[in-house]
Amino acid sequence: MSAARQRRPVVLLRPVPGTSVIHELWAGTKLIVVFVISLVLAFYPGWIVIALMAVLVGVAARLAHIPRGALPSIPRWLWILLLIGCVLATLGGGEPVLHLWSADLEVGGLLKFLRFTALSIVLLALGAMVSWTTNVADVAPAIATLGRPLRPLRFPVEDWAVALALALRAFPMLLEEFRLLYAARRLRPRPVLPDGRAKRRRWLTEMVDLLAAGVTVALRRADEMGDAITARGGTGQIAAAPSRPRPADWVALSICAGVCALAIVLEIRGLG
Amino acid sequence: MTSMGGPRVGSLTPVEMAQAAVMGALSAALAIVSVVVPFAGGVSLLVTVPMGLLGYRYRLRVLLAASFAAATIAFLIAGISGFMIVLNCAYVGGATGIIKRRGGGTLTMIAVSVVAGILNGLWIIAALTVLARLRTLTFEAMTANVDGVISVMSQFEPFRQSAAQTRAMFATALQYWPVLLMGYAIFTMMIVSLVGWWALSRVLERLRGIPDVHKLDALTEMGPVAPLPVRLSEARFRYPGADHDALRPVSLTIETGEHVAVIGANGSGKTTLMLLLCGREPSSGRIDRPGTVGLGQLGGTAVVMQHPESQVLGTRVADDVVWGLPPGTHTDVGRLLGEVGLAGMEERDTGGLSGGELQRLAVAAALARQPSVLIADEITSMVDQRGREGLLDVLSGLADRRQMALIHITHYNNEAAIADRTVNLSDSVDNMVMVGSAAVPAPTPIPTPGVTSNSTVTSNSAVTSNSALPVLQLDGVGHVYGNDTPWAKTALRDISFTVNEGDGVLIHGGNGSGKSTLAWIMAGLTKPTTGSCLVRGRPAHEHVGDVAIAFQAARLQLLRSRVDLEVASAAGFSPWDTGRVMSALATVGLDGSLARRRVDQLSGGQMRRVVMAGLLARWPQALILDEPLAGLDAASQRGLLHLLTDLRRNAGLTVVVISHDFAGLEELCPRILHLENGVVASAVQATGSAGGLP
Repeated sequence: MSAARQRRPVVLLRPVPGTSVIHELWAGTKLIVVFVISLVLAFYPGWIVIALMAVLVGVAARLAHIPRGALPSIPRWLWILLLIGCVLATLGGGEPVLHLWSADLEVGGLLKFLRFTALSIVLLALGAMVSWTTNVADVAPAIATLGRPLRPLRFPVEDWAVALALALRAFPMLLEEFRLLYAARRLRPRPVLPDGRAKRRRWLTEMVDLLAAGVTVALRRADEMGDAITARGGTGQIAAAPSRPRPADWVALSICAGVCALAIVLEIRGLG
Repeated sequence: MTSMGGPRVGSLTPVEMAQAAVMGALSAALAIVSVVVPFAGGVSLLVTVPMGLLGYRYRLRVLLAASFAAATIAFLIAGISGFMIVLNCAYVGGATGIIKRRGGGTLTMIAVSVVAGILNGLWIIAALTVLARLRTLTFEAMTANVDGVISVMSQFEPFRQSAAQTRAMFATALQYWPVLLMGYAIFTMMIVSLVGWWALSRVLERLRGIPDVHKLDALTEMGPVAPLPVRLSEARFRYPGADHDALRPVSLTIETGEHVAVIGANGSGKTTLMLLLCGREPSSGRIDRPGTVGLGQLGGTAVVMQHPESQVLGTRVADDVVWGLPPGTHTDVGRLLGEVGLAGMEERDTGGLSGGELQRLAVAAALARQPSVLIADEITSMVDQRGREGLLDVLSGLADRRQMALIHITHYNNEAAIADRTVNLSDSVDNMVMVGSAAVPAPTPIPTPGVTSNSTVTSNSAVTSNSALPVLQLDGVGHVYGNDTPWAKTALRDISFTVNEGDGVLIHGGNGSGKSTLAWIMAGLTKPTTGSCLVRGRPAHEHVGDVAIAFQAARLQLLRSRVDLEVASAAGFSPWDTGRVMSALATVGLDGSLARRRVDQLSGGQMRRVVMAGLLARWPQALILDEPLAGLDAASQRGLLHLLTDLRRNAGLTVVVISHDFAGLEELCPRILHLENGVVASAVQATGSAGGLP
C-alpha cells in the first residue's frame, strides 16, 4: 500500500496554476524576450552572458512562483552521460591549471564542457518559462499582433495565426490519440522473429502501420474541424479579448533590453 | 478529397485551414516526441509524412501555414531543435508531396534532395560563420571530450599510435568544418528525403479508400442573408453514383419562431435534410428562401453537429464563442454563456469541459451569430444523461425567446416532445421495423447500498458471485496524474473491489469520474499511484495483455491494414493461419468474407467486433470495454450487446464495461459500480441475474 515512487512527467503546454506578474505579462512580450535572449546567447556564449541570463531567468521563475515540482524528473542515464562527459573533458586537460595541494589539475576542458552545458540549460529554461506561465490560448493572438508589420509585405499572417490557434487546439487531442495507439501496441503479443533482418522489416511495417493509423485519425479530425469552421462561416476573430502589450510589458521589455545590453558590453570588454 | 471547392487564390478555405492545422499539430507532435523521448530520434524522419500529404493534396499556401503552426508549437515545447526538425521536414515533406503529385519519380526526388542539402549546408555554414563565438565554444567542448578519450587511450600501449592519429584527424576535421558540414547536410537531406519518400508512398497507398467524412461545403452565394421562411417542395436528394435516394421527396415550410423536431431512423435522410437546409442543391424539387442561406453569417443559418470535441474551435471558452466572427464584431460573451448555462466560465480551458458543456458552448457560439435559423443535428447523441437534459433545457423555448427557427434533428422520439411540431422522415414501415427509433436511454435509479437487502454489495467485499474465483482484485487503488507536480490531479481514491470469473460489471460514471483511468489500471496500462491491482494474483502492470481492453476509438486499435492481418497481429498468430483467423471472426459473429477487407472500409460496429476478435483470440482473463455502444446505431448496439451477453453466458467470459449510460446493459452487466469523483459511490447487484454462473 505504500505510495509508489513515480517519475515526474513532462507536462506540455499547461501553465503552472495560479497567477503572478509573469503570468500576467502579454504572451507577445514573453516570445520577444525569449527570442532576444536566445539571439544574444547565440552570438555571445560567454560565462558572463550565461550567468546574467541565468539570473534573469531565475528571478523571473521566483516571481512566477514556479515550484521545484514543475521540473520533470531527470532520468538517471542523463546524469550518467553528463558525468562521463565531465570526466572525459577533465582528462582532456588544457589551460587554466588549478593548483590543488600538491597536484596540478588542468581544468580548461572541463570548463568548456560546463559552459556548453550551462548554455543548453539556460536555453531550455527559457522555453520552459514561457510554457509554465503562458496560456496557450494567448499565443496565437499575440503572434497575429506581432506579425502585423509583415502584412504589407503580403505575408498571410492572419491565416498563419488561425492555423496556429487551431493546431494548438488539435494538439492535445492528437497526443491523446498517440497515447491510445501506443497502448494498443503494448497490448499485443511480441512476435518471436528469427533474425535481425526479419526484425528490421517488421519494425518498418509496424512504423508504417502506426503512422497510417495516426494519419487516418488526423484526417478524420481535420474533416470534422473543416465542417465546424464552415458552420461558423469561415475564419475571423480568434480571441474575445484584445491582444496587446500593457505598461507592465514595456517595463519587462526594458529590463530585458538593459540586461542584454549590459551582458554584451561586459562580454565585449573581455571580462567574460 | 483533393481540393475542395471555394476560391483557389487568397485566404485558406475552411477545409484547407483545418487540414493545415491538424497536420501541423501532427508534425509538431512527432517532432516533439523525437526530441523529448530518449532514443526516439528516428521518429523525426516521419515528420515529413504529414507535410508530404499536404503538399500532395493542397496548394503551397496550406503547406506554409501548416509549417508555421508546427514550427511554432515545436519551438514552444522542444526549443530550437524541435523548430529545426519541423522546418527541415516541412521542406523535404512538401517537396516530396509536390513531386508525387506531379508524377515525379525517385530520381527526381534524389536530385531535389541534393539541391536541398546544398542549400541547407550553405545556411548552416553561414549561420555558424556569423555566430563565431558559439561555433568556437561548441568545437572546444567537443575537442575537450575527444582529448579526454584520447588521453585515456594513450595510457594503454596498443592504442597509443591510433590515439595520436585520431587526435590529428579530429583537429584536421575541425579545420575544414565547412566542407564536413556541407557533406553532412547533403547526406542527411538525402536520407531524410528517401525515407520520407518511401513512407509517404506507403501511407498514400493506405489512405486510398478512406471515406471523406466532411459534410458541409462553404458556399459562394451573393446577396442579402435571409434564410427564412424556407419552403421545400418535393425536395429530393441522391448522392452522385448512389443507387437510392438519401432523402426521399420532402415538402415542408419553416417559419420564424418555430421549434421543429425532425426524427427518423438511421438512413432516413435526417442529415441530408440538414445539408439541404444548409444550402446544398436538391437533386430534384425546389427549395425557396427570400435571400441566401448565410451559413455561419450574422442573421443567417447556424449549425451544431454531433461530435462535441470537434465543434469547439477555441482553446478558451470565451474565445470559442467569438471564433470566426467578422473582425470588429462586439459580442456580449457573458450573456451568451449565461443563456446556455455556462455563466462565469469565460476563462476556462475548453479541453477540460464535458461533452454536454462542449455542446452548450457550441450552441452559444451559434447564438453569437444571431441566427435566423439554428439547426441542431443529433447534438445529444454523444453526451451523457445529465448533459442531455441540460442541452434540452437550453433548446426549449429558444425559438420563442430569440425570434428564430430551431430545427432539432434527433433519433430519440421523446426529445421531439418539446418541439412545436415533428417531422418524421421514416415513413416506410419496413424501415421502422428494421432499425427503429430508439427511446431515450432512461436513467436507471441508483439504489443506495443497503436499501434493497440481498441485492447490494459494499465496495470492499468480494462476496458477489458465490464460489467463482477472483480474476481482478483491486485493493485501495488510487491514482494521481502528474504526482508531485503543480499539475497534480487526483483521478481515483481508495478503490477496492473484486471481479470474479464470469462476472459482468458495469463501471458507471460521468465525465471526470475516473472511470477510464480505472479501466487503464485494470488492463495494466497504468500503474496506480497507491494500492494494488492484481490479475489472478499477479500485478496487472507487469502482465499487460492478460486483461484485454477495447477502447472507444476502435479505429486506433486497428493497427494493420486488413482485417485478417489485424486479427492475426492482435492475437499473435500467423496471418497465413486462415483457420484461426476465421474462427476468431466467427467468435464475434463476423462473416469470414470480411477477412480480406481493408479496415478503413468497415463500419463502426464492425470495427468494434474486429478489435474484439483479435483480443478474444488470446483468451484474455477478462475483457474491458470502454463505451462499447457509443456512436453505434440502434441495430448495431443490439447486435453487439447480444453477442457480449452470449459470450459471457456461454463462454464464461468476464466482462467489465465502462460507460456513462446504463441503457440496455442490465443483462450484460448485472453488477454496477457507480464512480463519482474518483471514489466508488455505490455498488449494486441487479436483482435476479447471476449470469454465466452455476
